Amino acid sequence: MAAEPFDVIVVGSGAAGGTAAYALTRAGARVCLLEAGRSYDPQRETPMFERTAVAPLRDAGTPDKPFGFYDATVDGGWVLPEEPFATAPGTEFRWFRARMLGGRTNHWGRVALRYADHDLKAFSRDGFGADWPFNYGEFSPWYDQAERLVGVFGSNPGLPDQPDSPPGCLQPPPVPRSFERLIMAGGRRLGRPVVASHTAVITRPINGRQACFYATPCLRGCSIGANFQSPTVLLPSARATGRLTTITHAQAYEIELARDGKARGVHYLDRRTNAHHFVAGRAVLLGASAMESVRMLFNSRSTAFPDGIGAESGWLGRGIMDSTGSNVWGQFPQMEGLPPFNDDGVWLPHVYIPWWAWPEQRAGKLPFTRGYHLELYGGRLEPSADTFDFFDTVSPFSYGARLKQEAQRYYGSFVRLSQRGEMIAREYNRVQIDPVLRDAWGIPSLRFDVRWSEQELHQTAHAQQSMAEFIEAAGGKLVAPLPKDPAHAILPPGRIIHEVGGARSGADPRKSVTNSFGRIWGVPNLYVIDGAVFPSSAHKNPTLTIVAFTLRACDHIQREMRHG
Amino acid sequence: MVDRRKTLSWLLRALALGASPVAHIDFALAGGAQQGRAQSDRREAPANAPADQGYGRDPNLLHPHITWPLTLSPEQKAAVARLADVFLPQIGPSPAASAVGVPEFVDEWISAPYPQQQADRSVILDGLVALERQAPGPINRLAPAQVEALVAKLQSSAVAGDRTAARFFSRFRNVCLVGYYTTLTGVAELGYVGYQPSATFAGPPPEVLARLGV
Ligand SMILES: Cc1cc2nc3c(=O)[nH]c(=O)nc-3n(C[C@H](O)[C@H](O)[C@H](O)COP(=O)(O)OP(=O)(O)OC[C@H]3O[C@@H](n4cnc5c(N)ncnc54)[C@H](O)[C@@H]3O)c2cc1C
Ligand code: SF4
Repeated sequence: MAAEPFDVIVVGSGAAGGTAAYALTRAGARVCLLEAGRSYDPQRETPMFERTAVAPLRDAGTPDKPFGFYDATVDGGWVLPEEPFATAPGTEFRWFRARMLGGRTNHWGRVALRYADHDLKAFSRDGFGADWPFNYGEFSPWYDQAERLVGVFGSNPGLPDQPDSPPGCLQPPPVPRSFERLIMAGGRRLGRPVVASHTAVITRPINGRQACFYATPCLRGCSIGANFQSPTVLLPSARATGRLTTITHAQAYEIELARDGKARGVHYLDRRTNAHHFVAGRAVLLGASAMESVRMLFNSRSTAFPDGIGAESGWLGRGIMDSTGSNVWGQFPQMEGLPPFNDDGVWLPHVYIPWWAWPEQRAGKLPFTRGYHLELYGGRLEPSADTFDFFDTVSPFSYGARLKQEAQRYYGSFVRLSQRGEMIAREYNRVQIDPVLRDAWGIPSLRFDVRWSEQELHQTAHAQQSMAEFIEAAGGKLVAPLPKDPAHAILPPGRIIHEVGGARSGADPRKSVTNSFGRIWGVPNLYVIDGAVFPSSAHKNPTLTIVAFTLRACDHIQREMRHG
Repeated sequence: MVDRRKTLSWLLRALALGASPVAHIDFALAGGAQQGRAQSDRREAPANAPADQGYGRDPNLLHPHITWPLTLSPEQKAAVARLADVFLPQIGPSPAASAVGVPEFVDEWISAPYPQQQADRSVILDGLVALERQAPGPINRLAPAQVEALVAKLQSSAVAGDRTAARFFSRFRNVCLVGYYTTLTGVAELGYVGYQPSATFAGPPPEVLARLGV
């Protein structure tokens, strides 16, 4: 193996692993990055300007490419035949993966919100789940760094749910698009905020990256590096230090401990040849994505840790969370038959609706204790395989000249509001190693047992109602009536792809798996840096917090290493 | 990181694409025609094509092409064209469905080895057979008025609650709409303007804001 011995072995090259490789190589460490997927070169591979007209099935989603042919995801999806997982009877779980350099950062929706102090200390407020082992004051400098590194546009409207960023952290947000302005007007009528989204796209050049040119679908990736992807933003800087060794197709499966109880290194196999390898390092960092990191800990059994590393407290694999999610579609007569104009903007949210009902919730007037925010999608998007989804409703059985008129009339007039809400961490929501199921390489697979509670259902009922109110206040009509039962509106756990928890960080070794830096209690040089460490998951999309947590952990690791 | 020159070349490429929509569509059709060699008659092809002919989880995104054999016989494709042209006829400068590759797209769609497309495959192929049974002859040989009458009849059955007719109407129409309005011609007809790199984003023009009342 090249450049051995390594200072640090990092497993996974997404938001967590990419950030660690970036921070530690720049701090002087020799890093070996193990990535299960193939190498990926966004500059060469991104179909920036390719048009829907020439894509198979006009870019419609398929099991091979769930978000469309051009989507950045490589070797990923909801169902990976080589990498099965089980679910407990009567439960559902969706698990979206990407097996490529940069992981899911190549595609992600790039909504990047800071947790507030009340998010980090939600247990202290309502007694559910657990607090984070630090408060906002301690953590916010890492958000500042994360925002500057990732590149996030947004504004500071001074809302209780959205901590302001210090000057110099955020980039100016783009002006809202037509459909976003309608919802903003609806928000004014309702007295609810609709403000600039915090989205990981740069509108001004920074760190040698070009600014967005407002012309190409972000979910395909961005070869000019204007949006955040690990392979455009993090890994080039890490490589430039000369201290990064990246091994792709490398499926890590076990952490080996030395006699002294420290991690000695990582066993991995080459997914193409099945050849097994071992790589040693002075420290090991797991950033394989929350569930994969937990799986590796479970699969690292020894006499000292018969149930897996980090399992002593009983919390390994427990407290699994996703965000709640549900949708409501509106149709807006004002948007019908508009003259042609360019409304692309950044192909991601310019505005969003932060959680507003604080006062009622604090006063105990709502039947749920954690908040949600709403994201908006739709308007005059490039026509796609989904554009006519509602035609059986708005223009049933039309054809001929009338159908062409209706196509022109209704195009661009649909807006989707989408709930992202906090799910409470519960001990009973867990992953374990399935007793029989294994992946194509023989590595034991996970079994999910995750369910919504009354809290999430009540929250979803409220969100559905609110989304309808926004649509109607903005002059739109619901495309379909709201389901009576929120259980029919809420998407299955995992579907929002914010799965976190399972190796929660905490102040008390008896009730957590890692300390506040992600270090496994009892193994002084083994860290978890991805979403597995979340003791609670606010309604805010997790990735910015993963990056900030990793930067903080790496700062600590680097200081530890300097002191031997 | 990519330099300005490269961005500029993308910019030019994007403009070139916008300027020659027809050439771009022809490319799509050429892809279809090549695949035509693998065409099989429905009588030989089972309704469920093997599931292993998808483009896979790592296709080359810069050279898009379909990987599955097509289904429709020349007669079936002609019948699809006749029907599609009733759903989306030529109106002045706006071309008929068959002029922008919709029949080829229907074939591409129903031949794809994925669940949604396989479901549409049964609905559409069975629907074509059922329609032809009600027609005075093979659909591709009917006079224009006869095809019109056939679709009118299909529509009234669907409206009257015939679920099979409604299902075929809905799915065939949807695939035709997608096939039509995702071409650069269709995109222009809908008034979508985009893929135009710009240093700034100005937002909607004043007349649009006035129409929206915001
Ligand atoms: C459709 C979609 C939309 C999203 N939208 C948002 C959003 O708007 N905002 C937000 O904050 N988040 C969003 N996310 C979630 C976001 O992508 C993840 O939170 C983030 O990528 C997690 O980073 P990670 O490094 O933990 O994992 P990943 O990015 O998944 O990276 C993990 C990497 O580790 C590799 N790996 C896994 N197991 C092993 C192993 N055993 N050995 C070696 N390598 C391994 C994987 O191949 C992968 O490359 C979205 C995700 C998707 C898919
Ligand atoms: S819209 Fe901007 S950030 Fe998104 S892919 Fe295009 S250039 Fe990149």
